Amino acid sequence: MRAEPYVVLRTSGLTKLYPVGGSRRLVALSGVDIDLAEGETLALVGESGSGKSTFARCALRLVEPSDGDVLINGRSIRSLGALGLAELYGEVQMVFQDPNASLNPRMTVRQVVHEPLRLHLRMPFAKREKRAIELMEMVGLTPAHLDRYPHELSGGQRQRVGIARALAAEPNIVILDEPTASLDVSVRGQMLELLKRLQAELKLAYLFISHDLQVVRHMADRVAVMYLGGIVESGRTEDVFARPLHPYTRALLSAAPVARWGVKRQRLRLAGEIPSPIDPPDACRLVGRCPMQQPACTTRRPPLIDAGGGHAVACPVVLA
Amino acid sequence: MSSPLLEIEGLSGSFRSPNGALTPVLHDVSFAVPRGTVTAIVGETGSGKSLTALSILGIQPPTFQRSAGRILFDGRDLLTLKPEEMRGIRGRRISIVFQDARAALNPVFTVGRQLADVHRLHHGGSASRAMKRTIEALRAVSIPEPERRARQYPHEFSGGMAQRAMIALAALVCEPELLILDEPTTGLDVTIQAAIMELIGDLVRERGLTACLITHDLGVVAETCDRVVVMNAGRVVETGTTEAIFTRPRQDYTRRLLAASQLGETPEMIEA
Repeated sequence: MRAEPYVVLRTSGLTKLYPVGGSRRLVALSGVDIDLAEGETLALVGESGSGKSTFARCALRLVEPSDGDVLINGRSIRSLGALGLAELYGEVQMVFQDPNASLNPRMTVRQVVHEPLRLHLRMPFAKREKRAIELMEMVGLTPAHLDRYPHELSGGQRQRVGIARALAAEPNIVILDEPTASLDVSVRGQMLELLKRLQAELKLAYLFISHDLQVVRHMADRVAVMYLGGIVESGRTEDVFARPLHPYTRALLSAAPVARWGVKRQRLRLAGEIPSPIDPPDACRLVGRCPMQQPACTTRRPPLIDAGGGHAVACPVVLA
Repeated sequence: MSSPLLEIEGLSGSFRSPNGALTPVLHDVSFAVPRGTVTAIVGETGSGKSLTALSILGIQPPTFQRSAGRILFDGRDLLTLKPEEMRGIRGRRISIVFQDARAALNPVFTVGRQLADVHRLHHGGSASRAMKRTIEALRAVSIPEPERRARQYPHEFSGGMAQRAMIALAALVCEPELLILDEPTTGLDVTIQAAIMELIGDLVRERGLTACLITHDLGVVAETCDRVVVMNAGRVVETGTTEAIFTRPRQDYTRRLLAASQLGETPEMIEA
């Protein structure tokens, strides 16, 4: 019997509401609970507006959550002040989607990588430089790249700098927000291999945010599918891909194109488009789009129900 | 077998920088687009796929300088046409759908007005008839409530709806012989992408269109296209039927692109 894996990041009831005039509120995130264990990869998948990026930002308090709590390495970050948060960012770091936007164009790679070493680890220059060279080699760049500016690097190299910056402070949790979305497929593969290698070497836990189902399948141990601000299904990656339960998950998986000849897909189609997140009704999120809709679906929002083996789905209809 | 609708022969050219230096970007690009087929041009960033597509319509950036080649459309070399002759072809016989539909539509006119204007430009007739045809076109691309939607502005459309409207414009209002689609689903969610690609496939089949799909996504190609042109660094690497490209790639670059697109998935995993 193995011991319970150590949970490094746990959110409970994480919620983010934006006021949009009058008493109306946009529900960007409603009551999201996740557990991320030491050294594992949990993927959050979903389409635009599903709340996956809002979740990442709330989990780090880059955006202030409206409700709920986040425990990082067992400690609540809810009441941390600026200094406490600064310390926290030594334990959890983020790699952003677009390295063109997340690297300061006026800073050399050296300045980018030195900054967290200076701020979080208070290293003197000589030590920082030694560590910076190590980090460059760790992410597959060379010490010569330290003198470059972001515009002198390719997209893939820039993303490597983003990874080096995130790893500089030696976090045990890294949030990866669409780390390969802006890269060509040939570079994407190298980036994913790099992330896997670093995870194994440094025992990192990844919260991997992506809309690319192929990448998620390749990277994640567990998957949580988000739709309209909430999780509709979660489970081990192979279970969710082999036996998707929620109608939204089925629609999403069956829509993903496969780069292979002669693959016939059984499409499950949803009606219409994603509804407005402003003042949503107390009903299943998929009401009005779902081919399996029952009268009961419109009267209350189904919670996540255990379907066995760590697989959970927010749909009583498919389990009935 | 009739001659291909479009034939590009030996197209080469360079970008000219402000100091006069030339950077070669297209090297002897040649391929054909047979009538009634969907032909994909696939490549990564910098492969020259979009530049080639823009050159067909004569809307390449002004810094691009052609050094050699012909673009034969229905047997005529488009590169030798006068600007006014080209205007008679652009839109009317060859039209294009761009990647970001909301950016391609004019934000200060309603969607219906823009489509109707194009209809009158190409087909003449009264404004009311043009609007009637526009609403039919919007309905044909499955835009719900087309009468109401026609009175809305582009910012009131979602990305997927705007792309449907663009396809209505390019394929149904213009009624071209050749439809060029430049990354039509990049930036759209997969469920929306699947619906847009189905729409494109249906239009091509039902209306006997010839289409040229520019994309970096081999997944989209496998399901929708008849033929594939693989480009890399300004060169055509390989051309063939979709089946041949996916099952018997001859060139190492094609094999590597396929492997990278499949991320080590096995067929069993996909069928599961």
